[in-house]
Amino acid sequence: MIAFLLVLALQMKVPDAEQFVGKPQGTPLTGEQLNLKTQQVGALLRCPVCQGLSVSDSPSEMAVNMKGQVRELLSRGYTQEQILSYFERSYGQFVLLKPKFNGVAAAVWILPLLAVAIGVVIVVSKAKKLEAAPAGNRQPTTDNPSDDPYISRVRELVEKP
Amino acid sequence: MNRTVLIIGLLIVAVVVAILFMGLGKDPAHIESPLIGRPAPGFALKAVGSNETIDLTRYRGKPVVLNFWATWCVPCWDEHPVLTANAQMAGDRVQYLGVVFQDEESKIRDFLEQRGWAYPTLVDQAGKTAIAYGVGGVPETYFLDKNGVIVAKFAGPMSAEDIQKNLQKAMQ
Repeated sequence: MIAFLLVLALQMKVPDAEQFVGKPQGTPLTGEQLNLKTQQVGALLRCPVCQGLSVSDSPSEMAVNMKGQVRELLSRGYTQEQILSYFERSYGQFVLLKPKFNGVAAAVWILPLLAVAIGVVIVVSKAKKLEAAPAGNRQPTTDNPSDDPYISRVRELVEKP
Repeated sequence: MNRTVLIIGLLIVAVVVAILFMGLGKDPAHIESPLIGRPAPGFALKAVGSNETIDLTRYRGKPVVLNFWATWCVPCWDEHPVLTANAQMAGDRVQYLGVVFQDEESKIRDFLEQRGWAYPTLVDQAGKTAIAYGVGGVPETYFLDKNGVIVAKFAGPMSAEDIQKNLQKAMQ
């Protein structure tokens, strides 16, 4: 019976990461290092059946399975980038808790900054125009009346014998 | 100059608002599969009720309807008779396959014996096949063309119309 089950297990085949992201490009991890890295990579993956929880934080069976797969891939020497690519290949960018800075995601970040920059340009150009306006159009800006050319002229005329 | 700058600014704001509005209009539960148009991940899994291992490549040459489900999933109970009836109608022209994950084989066998089975049902140990297909919940169904390429994905319980509509893409 055991031999039969063994034969059956050998016949079984599940999709393997090697089909999609190639051979491992890192060092196989073990022990505490493996536990720590599993937690770190799991924290970067979104649990697809949860509300905003990472694979590391979710107790759901789906997340537990995904975490198990992350652990297995790390123990085989797959790098963090390879593992994230593997999950992204199946689930798309949705599965990444830190989306890549490209496409629509990049536009949502860049465009508001661009709008602020344009606002600054408008304010600065307005300020410069006000500064460059003719002196006759402006009110005296000095606090000391004796420095004002108008007052000085009036004084001169009054004091004239 | 100021008018030009203002127009550019307004355009940028309009684009940002449009992008955000598009996001609001989407169903957050719907995940677009990046696997559409790509070869289906290969697998060979144990069939429920027999000691046979079924390899997906066995069905190369005809469309495959690959349904991920589980006995604890209530919408799957409603979908099961629809799939069974469609599989019986299709006969040999289309291959239906069930893949059960996060479940026990004894429960699957009991479920199928009570509700009937018309096509092979396979057990996905540790959900590895489901993960490779990007399954986010059950039921979820993938439609493969005769070359083994995924042409459509349907999330949720399907009606007969949903099956036929997606199957047409697989039969082209």
